[in-house]
Amino acid sequence: MALFVVFQTTFFLTLLSLRTYQSEVLAERLPLTPVSLKVSTNSIHQSLHLQWTVHNLPYHQELKMVFQIQISRIETSNVVWVGNYSTTVKWNQVLHWSWESELPLECATHFVRIKSVMDDASFPEPNFWSNWSSWEEVSVQDSLEKGILFVFPKDKLVEEGSNVTICYVSRNIQNNVSCYLEGKQIHGEQLDPHVTAFNLNSVPFIRNRGTNIYCEASQGNVSKGIEGIVLFVSKVLEEPKDFSCETQDFKTLHCTWDPGTDTALGWSKQPSQSYTLFESFSGEKKLCTHKNWCNWQITQDSQETYNFTLIAENYLRKRSVNILFNLTHRVYLMNPFNVDFENVNATNAIMTWKVHSMRNDFTCLCQIELHGEGKMMQYDVSIKVNGEYFLSELEPATEYMARVRCADASHFWKWSEWSGQNFTTLEAAPSEAPDVWRSVNSEPGNHTVTLFWKPLSKLHANGKILFYNVVVENLDKPSRSELRSIPAPANSTKLILDRCSYQICVTANNSVGASPASIIVISADPENKEVEEERIAGTDGGFSLSWKPQPGDVIGYVVDWCDHPQDVLQWKNVGPNTTSTVISTDAFRPGVRYDFRIYGLSTKRIACLLEKKTGYSQELAPSDNPHVLVDMLTSHSFTLSWKDYSTESQPGFIQGYHVYLKSKARQCHPRFQKAVLSDGSECCKYKIDNPEEKALIVDNLKPESSYEIFVTPFTSAGEGPNATFTKVTTPDEHSSMLIHILLPMVFCVLLIMIVCYLKSQWIKETCYPDIPDPYKSSILSLIKFKENPHLTIMNVSDCIPDAIEVVSKPEGTKIQILGTRKSLTETELTKPNYLYLLPTEKNHSGPGPCICFENFTYNQAASDSGFCGHVPVSPKAPPSMLGLMTSPENVLKALEKNYMNSLGEVPAGETSLNYVSQLASPMSGDKDSLPTNPVEPPYCSEYKMQMAVPLRLALPRPTENSSLSSITLLDPGEHYR
Amino acid sequence: DSWGMLACLCTVLWHLPAVPALNRTGDPGPGPSIQKTYDLTRYLEHQLRSLAGTYLNYLGPPFNEPDFNPPRLGAETLPRATVDLEVWRSLNDRLRLTQNYEAYSHLLCYLRGLNRQAATAELRRSLAHFCTSLQGLLGSIAGVMAALGYPLPQPLPGTEPTWTPGPAHSDFLQKMDDFWLLKELQTWLWRSAKDFNRLKKKMQPPAAAVTLHLGAHGF
Repeated sequence: MALFVVFQTTFFLTLLSLRTYQSEVLAERLPLTPVSLKVSTNSIHQSLHLQWTVHNLPYHQELKMVFQIQISRIETSNVVWVGNYSTTVKWNQVLHWSWESELPLECATHFVRIKSVMDDASFPEPNFWSNWSSWEEVSVQDSLEKGILFVFPKDKLVEEGSNVTICYVSRNIQNNVSCYLEGKQIHGEQLDPHVTAFNLNSVPFIRNRGTNIYCEASQGNVSKGIEGIVLFVSKVLEEPKDFSCETQDFKTLHCTWDPGTDTALGWSKQPSQSYTLFESFSGEKKLCTHKNWCNWQITQDSQETYNFTLIAENYLRKRSVNILFNLTHRVYLMNPFNVDFENVNATNAIMTWKVHSMRNDFTCLCQIELHGEGKMMQYDVSIKVNGEYFLSELEPATEYMARVRCADASHFWKWSEWSGQNFTTLEAAPSEAPDVWRSVNSEPGNHTVTLFWKPLSKLHANGKILFYNVVVENLDKPSRSELRSIPAPANSTKLILDRCSYQICVTANNSVGASPASIIVISADPENKEVEEERIAGTDGGFSLSWKPQPGDVIGYVVDWCDHPQDVLQWKNVGPNTTSTVISTDAFRPGVRYDFRIYGLSTKRIACLLEKKTGYSQELAPSDNPHVLVDMLTSHSFTLSWKDYSTESQPGFIQGYHVYLKSKARQCHPRFQKAVLSDGSECCKYKIDNPEEKALIVDNLKPESSYEIFVTPFTSAGEGPNATFTKVTTPDEHSSMLIHILLPMVFCVLLIMIVCYLKSQWIKETCYPDIPDPYKSSILSLIKFKENPHLTIMNVSDCIPDAIEVVSKPEGTKIQILGTRKSLTETELTKPNYLYLLPTEKNHSGPGPCICFENFTYNQAASDSGFCGHVPVSPKAPPSMLGLMTSPENVLKALEKNYMNSLGEVPAGETSLNYVSQLASPMSGDKDSLPTNPVEPPYCSEYKMQMAVPLRLALPRPTENSSLSSITLLDPGEHYR
Repeated sequence: DSWGMLACLCTVLWHLPAVPALNRTGDPGPGPSIQKTYDLTRYLEHQLRSLAGTYLNYLGPPFNEPDFNPPRLGAETLPRATVDLEVWRSLNDRLRLTQNYEAYSHLLCYLRGLNRQAATAELRRSLAHFCTSLQGLLGSIAGVMAALGYPLPQPLPGTEPTWTPGPAHSDFLQKMDDFWLLKELQTWLWRSAKDFNRLKKKMQPPAAAVTLHLGAHGF
């Protein structure tokens, strides 16, 4: 074993020494070491450019060699790249090789060395690597201009998504350098104290003006400088899409494609990508001026097959697409021309057109599209040059649009553009009878028939309807038919027919002819058939109606109704075997009552009313409340009535009424139930289920209580609107009785007052005359009571005056009327004013023995004063002053005094009582006598009337009263004269 | 052709009243032209405000950021509007007008370069319109100088500013130059407004003096 180890070691040592020897021999024989290595830089491309030569190459001999290149950064030991470069080397050849650095060359010193090895078959194995060349140092930093900060690479152009390394070189390590990408600070790796590198991975495209990256050197807060670069990021060039070529005339090929994104950049950094068309068979190339199409001139008629390559190119990338085609398979025909229509009638037309002739025996496939009435029909036809197609089954009086396009029939590539034209077919007679219905109003002696018809649809009108013909024919009497022509677009007419059966035919007419007639018969019998109206409930979709089939043969049914609020008669025809239908229209409004009448049409075309239905599409709550009257109000009840409330004109079927009653009592009255109102208050509610019951007696009420009532109707949709309650107060129980008594009493009093007023004069005279009747005086009874049976009262009429003397004291005319036998009353009536009765004595200055009436209303004291009751009045005194004596106090005093005197004995000496008539006073009641200009009465012009008095009492002494019976009459008129 | 001749004749006749030599009804002095120049300056200030906003957005961040205020390292060739207050006060009218005229001559040239680079048609239109207005301001200043009897500054041979596109400038520096160009324009217009207002007051009788409040508007 030890022997084997020794042997093995010896063998390896021998082999090693032999190998070393061999290489030395070869190197000596062929010292192909790369020499003269020079390294230059390209800052724009960030590349190192190497050039070297290989010495000792055999003359005029080419050898294949492999060069290994090592590149270190910052220091030689920091190898960043090793690679081989194989090439054929000639004698004395200068070799070139480039290496692109991801780190800007300005940011670090690079070192390069190279070695080589022979890799040529002419030299037998083994080949050995040469020695390394010496390290070649490359430093660009030294060549930088003045400045404190540099950022690299300058204005680099990269594709979106690339990785980019940038770096800055700061001359002064004292400076603090911050770098920003689009405003955001970025952090990098420090390569040496002056240099920091930043790796930007997958850079995005931000804008075509480039991405700004800048670094700012600062000391403290002081900016020392800003330096930056613009990194131009291009979008990735896309492959052109949908590349195709075609010809319309075999002279030009029109090629189109979708260019995709434009990769142009600002500051002329990169223009838009260019497009080049290359045809491989002809070897021709064309630079396209447009970015999405290019025209290629066909120069050789013989060339049928083309192989096109479209190359898109920008500074960073090249993309290409390829198509190979036969020219005849890419024929895109020009659109047809001379499109026209011949022999156009109501239903047919012939369409003609032409296509551009391409070559002999060229067949086209053409497609025709016919648009009309919202429909489209398509037809295909093969033609040569002139196309023709028969269009049939057209609608009359309809505008059509026909268009045609063509393609190569043998090798379909694509349709040409459309060429089209409009045409209108001619009119034809209307094809269907108009839908006619009627409404009949029977009046005495005739029917008023209103005919309605629906305009024909465009499909059936076959043109413009000009007028409607209405022919009325009497079926009962042979007579001439009456024709009425009603111009369109009228849709109704009114006929007044007598009590006969009539057949009415209606036709619609256009310029070509008349439609089939629509026939309706009006029977002689008026439509007074009583049909009960049935209520139906509508839905949102309409009304569902059903009816009993009419006995006998019917040709159909008609349902008619009126649309509100337009009041337009609508109708619907239903087949004879159908007894139900749904009337649905958008015209139905909620809260509107619709009346439907269902008619059966007999074989004689006479309509017979079968049923009536009424209903609402949607019932609504009543819109108003009834006006409620409260009457028959007693202390315990009252009656509510709302007779005027119409249940028909409501937005729903009135089902009844709710009567709400509010009272202070907590308990509801019998028949009422408790209810809560919308405002939360409680009340009592009474429900009336009969809509025609429009009155309610509310009883069991308390007297002198206040109640509030509210009546509202209700439909299936709810109650009427909220409104205010009406207040009712029950009266007191006795108040009615009082009224029964008080009223007649008041009436009686009034009656008495009226009578009194009317008979006031009589009453005055009777009850309180101006001159009291002594007989009636109460004094009389008193006197009688005083046991003085001899006392009598003298009657005026008993006195017979002897003479009346009129005295005018200062100056006056004395009229002596002798023998005048006038009663005092008469005298007073004729001469009421200032009439004084005086004794006939000449000397009347002293108080004479006068006999006066015993009248207690006159003041005796006044007579004592010698003025005989006359009060001298100053001429200037106001008239009211004249009433001094008649003032109530004075009268009362006098009354008292006289009364007292009369109770005692009347002394004989005091017989000179003067009588002064009350009429003498202006206040006596005769207001007419009130002097507006009071005259000065003559002093003591007195009037004394001597009355017959009992002799014992008032017998005058003859010496004093010789002329007792004389009357002095003072005529005021004379007096003033 | 006869119609063309007629149209041409009509145009000439129409513009005759505008020719100053034919329209001398009386010498109103430099006052109105100074007022017009001042008004035009204010109008340009307003116009530039919207144009600068659009253009700086077009450049992208950080140029459109409101607080972006880089130290002015490049853009050395642009005429600076900022001047020491004392120095500015010491300038006479002629010097001020001359500086204004020279500054706008330069700025206009650079602006035309800006117009060439703009990628969007709308921005190009706005820039072209602004250039036309600025050209008008230049003519207006020349008019004021002529009215005051000052000679127009003659450009020194070889110093005429030219816009040179190419790789000599990095794109970032180019953007920075654009930024500074707009900023300088803003400052120049503000300064000119002040100059013309001062000149206007000086030329007007004191009674008719109108006080105008001017404010500096940043970007």
